[in-house]
Amino acid sequence: MKRKTNKDNGIWRLIWKYKALYLISIPSILYFLIFKYIPLGGSIIAFQDYNIFKGFSGSDWVGFAHFAEMFKHYDFLRILNNTVLIGLYDLIFSFPAPIILAILLNELRLVMFKRVIQTVVYMPHFLSWVVIAGMSVAILSPTTGVLNQLLVLFGIDPLYFLGDNSYIRGVLVGSGIWRDTGYGTILYLAALAGINPELYEAAQIDGANRWKQTLRITLPALLPTIMILFLLHIGKFLDFGFERVWVFLNALNTENGEILDTYIYRAGLLSQQYGYTTAVGLFKSVVGLVLVMMGNLFSRKTTGESLY
Amino acid sequence: MKKWASLALTCMLVMSFLAGCSGKNEPAKEEAASSGEKKTEAADEVTKFSISLRTLNFGYVEKSPDINADKWVKRVEDLTKTDMDIRLVPHKEYEQKMVQMFATNDIPDVVQGQGGTTGKEMAGSVEAGVFMPLDDLLKEYGPNLLKKIPKEAWNRMSYQGKIYGIPEWLGNPSRRATWIRKDLLDQTGLPVPKTVDEYLNVLRAFKKLGVENPYMGRQDFKYADTFFGSYDVFPYLSQFEEADGQVQPKFMDSENMMKALSTYKTMFDEGLINKEFATINPTTFKNTILAGKAGIWTMNANELIQWQTQLQDTVKDAKLEIIPSPVGPDGKGGYYLYGDVARSYFINAKYKHPEKIIQFFDWMVSDEAEQFFTYGVEGENFTKEGDKINYKQPTDAQAVDEERYRQAFLWMVQDTTYNKGSLSLTEEGKSLMSVFDNTLANEGRDGIEFDPRLEALKKNPDIAPLSDTPPPLLITHMVKMVYGQEPIDNWPKVIEEWKSKGGSDVLKEANERYQSKEGVFLPRK
Repeated sequence: MKRKTNKDNGIWRLIWKYKALYLISIPSILYFLIFKYIPLGGSIIAFQDYNIFKGFSGSDWVGFAHFAEMFKHYDFLRILNNTVLIGLYDLIFSFPAPIILAILLNELRLVMFKRVIQTVVYMPHFLSWVVIAGMSVAILSPTTGVLNQLLVLFGIDPLYFLGDNSYIRGVLVGSGIWRDTGYGTILYLAALAGINPELYEAAQIDGANRWKQTLRITLPALLPTIMILFLLHIGKFLDFGFERVWVFLNALNTENGEILDTYIYRAGLLSQQYGYTTAVGLFKSVVGLVLVMMGNLFSRKTTGESLY
Repeated sequence: MKKWASLALTCMLVMSFLAGCSGKNEPAKEEAASSGEKKTEAADEVTKFSISLRTLNFGYVEKSPDINADKWVKRVEDLTKTDMDIRLVPHKEYEQKMVQMFATNDIPDVVQGQGGTTGKEMAGSVEAGVFMPLDDLLKEYGPNLLKKIPKEAWNRMSYQGKIYGIPEWLGNPSRRATWIRKDLLDQTGLPVPKTVDEYLNVLRAFKKLGVENPYMGRQDFKYADTFFGSYDVFPYLSQFEEADGQVQPKFMDSENMMKALSTYKTMFDEGLINKEFATINPTTFKNTILAGKAGIWTMNANELIQWQTQLQDTVKDAKLEIIPSPVGPDGKGGYYLYGDVARSYFINAKYKHPEKIIQFFDWMVSDEAEQFFTYGVEGENFTKEGDKINYKQPTDAQAVDEERYRQAFLWMVQDTTYNKGSLSLTEEGKSLMSVFDNTLANEGRDGIEFDPRLEALKKNPDIAPLSDTPPPLLITHMVKMVYGQEPIDNWPKVIEEWKSKGGSDVLKEANERYQSKEGVFLPRK
């Protein structure tokens, strides 16, 4: 009986053939089922007037009322605008940073020096945002901050970076670059290590200089990695992260600094409107999904690289 | 190599599965054991119950490896014939953790709230019938509780006419105070300031002396709201007032609000408050003061002795004093008054022997409990000569921590204004008590408060104030006005904006509630 199914069904035969692989993938499959897919069902409360004592079987259904309320909210456009702009800045400035840094690091020939630099640039990634915010306040302070003293040296008046709507987005994206660029190089460096050195040798013989080699060999070799990471980044486009923004916000910069995540925190956890904030969160996820699908399509059409 | 690796991995997996299974078995075994224990305990009449307690940021509690094995907990258990299973709730995430607890239905037998039956941390549990009404039980088993705890505090613990929790009450709700560096004031030769103008003069004199922050500012005006009190315009949750027969938040008194804002603007322009106060966080606030770089500021009065010691480490001659807060046009001043309840205890409706819990809390207000929590154990922490108690107050940081834990954390039901027994031992303590009784008791601003909270406030967090922070919408304008980015004359427009973004609903609901007298608390002063 068993043998017969094995023979008849291709899938089972395939599974049997790679049984070890399947066995070791069970924990991660369970992980995704339990922690990612089952909680997805909880999104249902976006359509309910959720009461934690009644649960989602007992709470009243409200349909799309929360979504309507969200779009009607006087600040929704401002917050969405902030989120999209900050996300866009992040995409334009933060995303290429590790690529450039990785290529630069790759050009270093002294191994010891390279290792030291790598360790140093990885370091900030392990600091929490609270610590980074504290440091930023000190560095950016108009009276005592290093940066402002530098500005004064060049004859520019000190700027209150954290107390001004026009700088907050720059501070948010900039601090992210400082924190994560080094760490982001890991994958690129790994990809660079995989490039066949013979390619460079051949190019050298053909008379290509360093810059040409980077352009014609390094970048094309990196392209698949770049594309995959780009798509992953797009998926998190509206997901700038709650904590990194929350710690920088104050009364003088909320107008341009507040994003959907911080709004969800204020409305959801501080005011306990679970249904409403789930609706906002769901909206964010749907936008993310659409963006990933579009990006993926675009990438497959142009470069042939894609996530799925 | 490959085979070896996959074998190792498989082994690891199998082991982790096994570990997981045995882990699951353990609680079952424990349960069986504890049910066995229960039977024997019934004979000894030890009351077993679980209780959730907020860590309150107490070092002793947060560093304790297992609070249930702590010697003081054991002693309380011996004295009360109980066996507590304390579940600590982290101070910082208190509200979230409480809601989580209710959402997962993992509710201990006794739940600690932070005052009131309908607060956010209770997440609607009282309305949902999670806890039992206590009136009859209190009459029978808690005579001392009923006698000692003031009526105002019980009122806070009532929902639809029934008492649902036992309060730890605050006899004197005026807690925040205006602190001054008396040594600096003496240097200026000026008398203790009383009015706003006199205060400004002292600040200017401080500036001349070279004090970096004559008035210590802080983000969102939190603990930096002295002058809003002078003009009685605190934009906080409990600060509604009646004007022309209508209930409205105090910040709608444009005239006074603009005066208060102008005061801050003057201070900002003249450099009497830090130009970066909009980004000064609590840690920087405290460190700046303790480094001797501030002249006047706001802090809770009960911290006076502690700060004095810490400040003297850096500035030897520093002398801290609490002075009456600046008075405004009506001759009054001070800070917003705290609620009548500091912590409260609710009993799970499913618990079998609620009378035992009532007796446990009833013991908390007994003389025996007062002596135990204040001085500790006779022979170990203090000795007695007749009626006189010889108690040596601890001096090293660790012992101070332990004392504070015993007096303020473990003593669950008491008047938390101050610890009389311990303060009356020293001169500093006695003068602090007199600050409470003579200075603070005479100041403070209270208003009409709605509890349960107005529904309209829940809808939009931007227009909703918290107990000691203005609504975000207002903070933005207030800070901008002080920084000179927006004219102060704009305040009436700010009020209109607040109204248009949901404030009108708040006003409407507040007046309806006020008329029907549902969940309305009138000013105590």
